[in-house]
Amino acid sequence: MSETSPNEARRLAEGARERVNFEEEALALADQVYRVARGVSRSKEEAEDLMQETYARAFRSWQSYTPGTNLRAWLLRILTNLNIDRGRRAQRAPDQQPLEEGDYFLYNRLEAATGETEEERVLERLSQDHVAEALSAVPHDFRDVVVLVDIGDFSYADAAQILDVPIGTVMSRLHRGRRILKKELADVAVDSQ
Amino acid sequence: MTAVDPCDWCEEVLQPYLDRELTDAERQEAEAHLDGCKYCRKRYKFEEGLRRLVRQAAVEPMEPALKQRLSELRLEL
Repeated sequence: MSETSPNEARRLAEGARERVNFEEEALALADQVYRVARGVSRSKEEAEDLMQETYARAFRSWQSYTPGTNLRAWLLRILTNLNIDRGRRAQRAPDQQPLEEGDYFLYNRLEAATGETEEERVLERLSQDHVAEALSAVPHDFRDVVVLVDIGDFSYADAAQILDVPIGTVMSRLHRGRRILKKELADVAVDSQ
Repeated sequence: MTAVDPCDWCEEVLQPYLDRELTDAERQEAEAHLDGCKYCRKRYKFEEGLRRLVRQAAVEPMEPALKQRLSELRLEL
């Protein structure tokens, strides 16, 4: 049996403690990470698989996390990379979709379709189901940014770091992603009036 | 003097306004316009409500069973 010196034992104990702290902090963020996972996935099952892969990888590579930095962003970077690796992006290039509607478009369309003229009443014509359905129709590159910024409440800079793209790309995808979301919302909500 | 229609300009800055990405001068210009323009004000309020709706659209909580499975992925000590 090999001897363990007191110093070595102390170092091992410290390492174990750091790891447990890391795991507990990561698990405490799971609800927030799940919101993003659910937003970027087509189904609950896909989101659950993605969460398990993300946490398995995070726990394995915990030593590459620098304590004191943004753990939520670190976890989401793993999650978005895994999501890209899954090859679920093999779809039409979203930049080629023709789309240039102004930002008042959805309101104007709903107002015209419903005859409502007060913004609260116009908004009531939209349900969470409409939003979920519209969001799932937004191409992934754009949806990821909308989910991180509008649901995950990340800054442009954090979203850029998580997705490993320049901040200008975050801004243009966000702009376009919100426009696409509104166009989809107009389609699902107006058609169901 | 700007040649752009003020409502068109206000529509263009709607997103950066709500993202708090406008400069102070731009924000003041937008707010001055919104004070006097019901057409744009309604659309701004609608957009704020829409943002809340989007935020809430993904709050379906995680299943407790998933949380348990995540916890089980922790490494053995």
